Amino acid sequence: MKMIYWIGLALAVAASLGISETTPAQNKKPDAAPVSPGAFDPHDLSGVWMQDRPHLQKVVERFWIYELTFEEPPMTPWGLEKFHATRSSFGTHPYPLAETNDPIYRGCAPTGFPRAFYHAFPLQIMQTPGEVIMLFEWDSMRHQIFTDGRTHDTSLGPLWMGDSIGHWEGDTLVADTVNFNDKTWLDRVGHPHSEQLHVIEHIRRADHDHLEDQITIDDPKAYTKPWSGTIVFLLHPKWTLAEEFCEDISSFEKIEKQEIAPAK
Amino acid sequence: MRNRGLGIFFAFVSALAANASATAFAQTKPPATPAKAPAADSAHDLSGVWYDDHPRPNIVMERYWIYKFAPGEPPMTSWGQAQFDAAKTSFGTHPYPLKDTNDPVYNSCAPPGFPRVYLHPFPFQIVQSPTEVILLFEYDSTRHQIYTDGRAHDTSLGPLWNGDSIGHWEGDTLVADTINFNDKTWLDRMGHPHSEQLHVIERIRRMDHDHLEVVFAFEDAKAYTKPWTARMEFRLYPKWTIQEYFCEDQTTFDDMESNEVKPLK
Repeated sequence: MKMIYWIGLALAVAASLGISETTPAQNKKPDAAPVSPGAFDPHDLSGVWMQDRPHLQKVVERFWIYELTFEEPPMTPWGLEKFHATRSSFGTHPYPLAETNDPIYRGCAPTGFPRAFYHAFPLQIMQTPGEVIMLFEWDSMRHQIFTDGRTHDTSLGPLWMGDSIGHWEGDTLVADTVNFNDKTWLDRVGHPHSEQLHVIEHIRRADHDHLEDQITIDDPKAYTKPWSGTIVFLLHPKWTLAEEFCEDISSFEKIEKQEIAPAK
Repeated sequence: MRNRGLGIFFAFVSALAANASATAFAQTKPPATPAKAPAADSAHDLSGVWYDDHPRPNIVMERYWIYKFAPGEPPMTSWGQAQFDAAKTSFGTHPYPLKDTNDPVYNSCAPPGFPRVYLHPFPFQIVQSPTEVILLFEYDSTRHQIYTDGRAHDTSLGPLWNGDSIGHWEGDTLVADTINFNDKTWLDRMGHPHSEQLHVIERIRRMDHDHLEVVFAFEDAKAYTKPWTARMEFRLYPKWTIQEYFCEDQTTFDDMESNEVKPLK
């Protein structure tokens, strides 16, 4: 089933060189301008999206499948100590899967946020009047951003995916997530975070086919100052989310080989 | 963790009423585009957070709805009966202790699968778009995606935990058809069986503003001698949101079991 994504990615690259997918039929007012293929509503983030980057041969060039930025983030001594204790199966000095202490590959733990963005599977955005919901294919994770004006729910215990609220500033959805547990890695290389983690996203539909999410990591226990990176997603109008349960991965080595193999 | 008494949800309810104005805040106007089609007209609006709030009386036999779909036994084939006899469930009238169960959910945090997830007493949220109706279950973050855009079943997919679901409207009823299941799940929490031939039809209907009805038909010629049906009813909880519920958080399943079978005060 994973081969579908490599084929799909290749097709998407080919398709993006030509005319983009036509928009579905919409209710038209009699005097509205005709819809051009590129027209879009900037407040409409819905669709199936996937990180849009070439898959280069060298691991060090492909940082986006395991971390937010190419540069090392500015860790505190506490953060560095946590980082050094991790044995990741990704990055430039990977451990074999048999030796990793990555909570996902060791015990199928929930992915956490923003780590969910780096697993090379699509996400689907659904919107209601009061929420923007990101549904991740990987392990069925949910990132629910409440846009109805509520404040953070301080009654909840620490969460795997945090507690997210958001508001629109013009064409940008600003999402604010707090209240994390400390059981997840920040990314797939094992960068740390504490329960003080505060993630701010600036999410913007750059054009019909592209979504940008600028992610800011703010965690004074783990990092000496806030730092950010931007992920760009490509719209895949013909894709739907499939099932991708950790329990199905009979050998994690299969995942690793499939995810870092260069697209043909 | 399941605190439902949040008074700030009034904003959520009023936001639903103010739907039309929600998109009017853009400071930059895009070129004239047609109005986006609404996700559902009022007759087909199933959206919201729903929960099965059957009373929870003391006697286990009267509480079949927290572990199986219908009172009595479904009509099993001999293959089906053999599967059922091998299941060591922690529910029902002859429960095994949790440490002795071979329930894949409690043994190893396997996904509960569909339709079993309906029986776990946690809410689900329905969100809709023009092309699908999605049930987001709180329990284990399970997703039940019903495609309503006219597509056929995707026969290229391998067997799935939650099956492959397509649906269409018959008047005010969403008829959803699900096939292509793997055989790694129990049909319910008692260990009733199913094979990869399982075929589930749901007829989902909003009875009134606050009530949702789901009528199930289960068809599986390998496990059951004939199709059989069941019905569940859910109530709308406008102030609730679905929360996290991951198997990994349950430090002792004994906590879970005693939380779930305790009668509500």
